Amino acid sequence: MKYLPLLWSGIWRKPGRTALVLLQVAVAFALFGVLQGMKTGVDRAVAKTRADLLLVTPADFGGTPLPISYLDRLRSIPGMQSVDFADGFLGTYQKPTQPVYVLAIRPSELWVTLVPEMFQVAPKDLEALKNTRDGALITADIGKKYGWHVGDRIPLTSTTLQSDGSGTWSFQIVGTFTDHEPGEAGFIVGNYDYLDQARVLNKGTVRNFYAIIADPKRAAEMSDTIDRAFGNSSNETKTGSLREIAQQQMRAIGDLNFLIRSVVGAVLVALLFSITTMMMQTIRERTPEFAVLKTLGFGDRPIFLLVVGECLLICILAALVGLALATGVFPYAGKFVPGLSMPLSVVGFGLVGAVLVALITAVPPALRAARLQVVDALAGR
Amino acid sequence: MKLARQFWALLRMNLEAIPARLGLVCTIVIGVTCAVAVLVSMLAMGAGARQEAMGNVSPNRATLTSVDAPSPLQSSVAQDAAPLIRDLPGIRRDAQGKPIVVFQATVFVQARSKINGAQTGFPLIGMTPGFTDYQPELHITAGRMYTPGLRELIASNKCVRQYTDFGVGAHRHMRGGDWVVVGNFDLASTVCLVFADGDTILSAFGRNTYNQANVMLQSPGAFADLANALKANPSLHLKVQHEAEIFAQNMQQLNGILNFVSYFVGAIMALAATIGAANSLYAIVDGRRRELAILRAVGFNSLPIVASVVSESILLALPGALIGALVAWLLFNGLLASPLGASFHMAVTPSLALLGLGWALGIGLIGGLLPALRAARVPVTDAMRAT
Repeated sequence: MKYLPLLWSGIWRKPGRTALVLLQVAVAFALFGVLQGMKTGVDRAVAKTRADLLLVTPADFGGTPLPISYLDRLRSIPGMQSVDFADGFLGTYQKPTQPVYVLAIRPSELWVTLVPEMFQVAPKDLEALKNTRDGALITADIGKKYGWHVGDRIPLTSTTLQSDGSGTWSFQIVGTFTDHEPGEAGFIVGNYDYLDQARVLNKGTVRNFYAIIADPKRAAEMSDTIDRAFGNSSNETKTGSLREIAQQQMRAIGDLNFLIRSVVGAVLVALLFSITTMMMQTIRERTPEFAVLKTLGFGDRPIFLLVVGECLLICILAALVGLALATGVFPYAGKFVPGLSMPLSVVGFGLVGAVLVALITAVPPALRAARLQVVDALAGR
Repeated sequence: MKLARQFWALLRMNLEAIPARLGLVCTIVIGVTCAVAVLVSMLAMGAGARQEAMGNVSPNRATLTSVDAPSPLQSSVAQDAAPLIRDLPGIRRDAQGKPIVVFQATVFVQARSKINGAQTGFPLIGMTPGFTDYQPELHITAGRMYTPGLRELIASNKCVRQYTDFGVGAHRHMRGGDWVVVGNFDLASTVCLVFADGDTILSAFGRNTYNQANVMLQSPGAFADLANALKANPSLHLKVQHEAEIFAQNMQQLNGILNFVSYFVGAIMALAATIGAANSLYAIVDGRRRELAILRAVGFNSLPIVASVVSESILLALPGALIGALVAWLLFNGLLASPLGASFHMAVTPSLALLGLGWALGIGLIGGLLPALRAARVPVTDAMRAT
């Protein structure tokens, strides 16, 4: 501990140079943090998505929606736990620039307990929706955005027409729910039966089914079973678990693994070289000082530790700054991946990396300083 | 004149002293090498994708879509508009004297990845007769062309590599019917391409409109005639775009993401390299304080001193750029990359190497500037003090 002031004054002997080294190491670790954090975070996010929740959608892109009669056929497939569906339409509130998507469901227990991936809703709100045909649930965000309150009646304009030719849909706000992506303020929840009875086109169809299976391990097999069951009809399906879908979306980043590793490798090589030469330079400049320390009675070992300690302190300090920076910008960098946060393991891994970098770069100059012969050093040889 | 002579003398001194400061010099070179290698290899993805997508774009080809469609996928061209479109001016005629117009309907169906068994959507493209006249560079490598009216497909070799059941003779089950792959072909594209007869696709997928009409122009100049004819006939509700424009639109999203990532990472690497270079040059300048002070004392001007240090920095950065581009080329050129569902070979092009050189110049210039200013301001009294 008594060496600490000595260590500290050694570091700040040339403040400009130390600041630049700190900055360089911090930048390198910030880059490492963002890249590696993205990769680990995505892997985590994928692993967290549900494998037992299958999404059943129309097989061809932009094709006609699926008939609601599939509901019973899906429920009768062995190994199925529960099945529900969702539909919806896009409307606008007052201005064309204020889109509001109405997610239309049949209020059932499933939405309270089984599908928190979509949204969270309290039983009493769901009950209120069930009892009001043209009822709607809103999020706090959308309520604040448009000044809506429970009890209000709101008109939405849509290209989905009612049977009387009108495109105006009116909803009575009866409760609230929590969106799993807060701050989006994009959708409200309404009754499927209200939508289906009133609309003129696509009656008796739904956008997609949610099927929960008993055994998550059989997700791929069950998906194939479902798609085969509707294979020869005019409404073929495409089924996949939420995890499979997430994996597909994230594969893009997985493919970049090799590249990420190369970048991190390149950063490391540049960094190791840069710090080693900087340390060498410092030691060379400070040769007389070390000689004086030795004359005062410092042994080889304390001198060695002094140099290594300096490097360790710089590297860890800079790595902390860099990783903090990475954590700070992470929400922006990871914007397109919902639910991404900086994994702690990456921070830990980064700090271990910093210690290793410090040890590798500090040992050669430290040895040089420790082996110094006092006479030679003071003579400037 | 005198300043130039001073500059040359200083620069020669700097360069001759390089062997004595090998460590610091190598730091600059290696830092720049890494930054340029990373930037160039990341950008090589975008360049490779562009090269493969635009590989055989022809100025003679143009595409007609609905006026208000943001992309051909949202466009619809009615079947009964076909004769009107064939009569438009500027369209080349085939050997029989018929205009070369091919109507295209695109549907998305599922394919299974060979690597991990995951399902992915791929475009199944229906083309009406005349396709081979419109796209003569389509090169069948195995099997034969599909027969119009039958449920037959031809798949690009990229599909065969990426997905299951696309080899010649494979059967695919789609829309309640059995489809046979009868041929494989090569055609420049970043994604798997599958073609079938246009009207067979329409009836099998329950569609009654095409997405787009592709026309072969008499000459690139005939584009204007066609565009004017469409403007004069607003009831057709169609617009015309060059093939290159459509392809560029398709590439926009992929390119946007790739470029953003490349420049983001590249800029951070460059920042680190700049700091490293500045630090090394500071150390070099510090090591030469006495020498510089003596030079100032004997009448050397500040300007040549600044210029000589900056030049040294740039001269050290340039080999870094060349090595970096070379490393990127050795490691990544021709490597198969498949980000975001596309698949293409990365391409390290001369223009990318030049771009890397430009970045290196920037790193050298910015990294050298501050140390150079310090060098020029060394007090003359320093020369008198022994250290």
